[in-house]
Amino acid sequence: MDNFEPKLVGFCCNWCSYTGADLAGTSRLKYPPNVRVIRVMCSGRVGPEMVMKAFASGADGVLVLGCHIGDCHYVYGNHRTKKRMAVLKRMIGYLGIDPRRLRLEWVSAGEGAKFAEVVGEFTKQIKELGPKQQPVAS
Amino acid sequence: MLERTRELARSWLQKKEVDAIFGLRNKGGYLAPYLFNTEDELADLSISNQYRICHTCRPAKKNILSLMQARDPKLRIGVVCKGCDERALIELAKRSQLDLERIKILGVACTAEEAAECECERPYPGNLLVGDKVAGHSGHPGIDELLKKDIQQRFEFWCQQLGKCIKCYGCRNACPVCFCTDCKMEQELFVKVGRLPPEVPMFQFIRLIHIADKCTGCGECEKACPSNIPLTLITKLLKHDMKELFDYEAGLSVDNESPILLTLDAMPLRDGAGHGG
Repeated sequence: MDNFEPKLVGFCCNWCSYTGADLAGTSRLKYPPNVRVIRVMCSGRVGPEMVMKAFASGADGVLVLGCHIGDCHYVYGNHRTKKRMAVLKRMIGYLGIDPRRLRLEWVSAGEGAKFAEVVGEFTKQIKELGPKQQPVAS
Repeated sequence: MLERTRELARSWLQKKEVDAIFGLRNKGGYLAPYLFNTEDELADLSISNQYRICHTCRPAKKNILSLMQARDPKLRIGVVCKGCDERALIELAKRSQLDLERIKILGVACTAEEAAECECERPYPGNLLVGDKVAGHSGHPGIDELLKKDIQQRFEFWCQQLGKCIKCYGCRNACPVCFCTDCKMEQELFVKVGRLPPEVPMFQFIRLIHIADKCTGCGECEKACPSNIPLTLITKLLKHDMKELFDYEAGLSVDNESPILLTLDAMPLRDGAGHGG
């Protein structure tokens, strides 16, 4: 378990967080390579089924990154993400996936450092939680 | 209670307040939804907590009432509704699936026995015309049991339960508020064709999260399930969460838009610890 490297999926919105991730790269900031970034047009595009799919496909943690409230390119997209993720977090808890494995953060295009920090923190947290339990074959 | 409902339905037809009454017909002991056009037919009108009036017809994926409304744009229907039926109509109207202006709701309360049988939280409609309100049942023995389990045990519990799934889509088909023509449960990306049992956190849970803001609590999904998967555990828990997070309850009024679709300014998210862990 000591050298467990979690698989993380990061949904990044095209306008802020993906650019933020880009900035982290161009600024040569170090962050763990565990996160697989998936670019979506808006964090509001990330449906609950996409998060579930990530978990079902073996992700140990899912990170949803979007623009700060008020900065959404589509004005209210991230408002809905916030609410949806709040409900989804409750549901995965009942289902038996630790709600801490799903995290929503706001990262703007200028916050490359924050992106690196969020990914680092999240990776550390998931490492502590350990691998996500896999369904037993019946 | 049944007599009073018939009387009321008859008077609506007589006064031409509605063109027809939609309700359950008892024919030789079998119940089915029926459109009562004449007063004589109303002798067969029946009320049951075992049958929901509001169904989504497959493969048209349209509600039976909206199909009738589309066929006759002037038709005014009186609908004999129990609490859950009325909530379903309201949720559908909210999402432009039917025109509530042309529907007159004949609300019938459920008896205490019926409410206990369904473990219903709100066994009466808003527009109550027949019968008296009885108290709802808030608890569910399964919920307490599930919440006592830790994360790992919950996951094992669901693996065991969902392992029984034969992917008949019965839960979705029976659901009065599942009306999407493009269902995520039918997409190869999310639910693999030919895989049995389906991947664990996916199949049922896609539907459960999608109906979190519109579930009427009728329990049809669980009744329809041939494998007895306790789906209402989750719908009930999510209903509580919606109440806790947004102070919202589905199916009370057409004006209460779903909080998930509203902005944070119009409907802020309350921060509660909750029992999700």
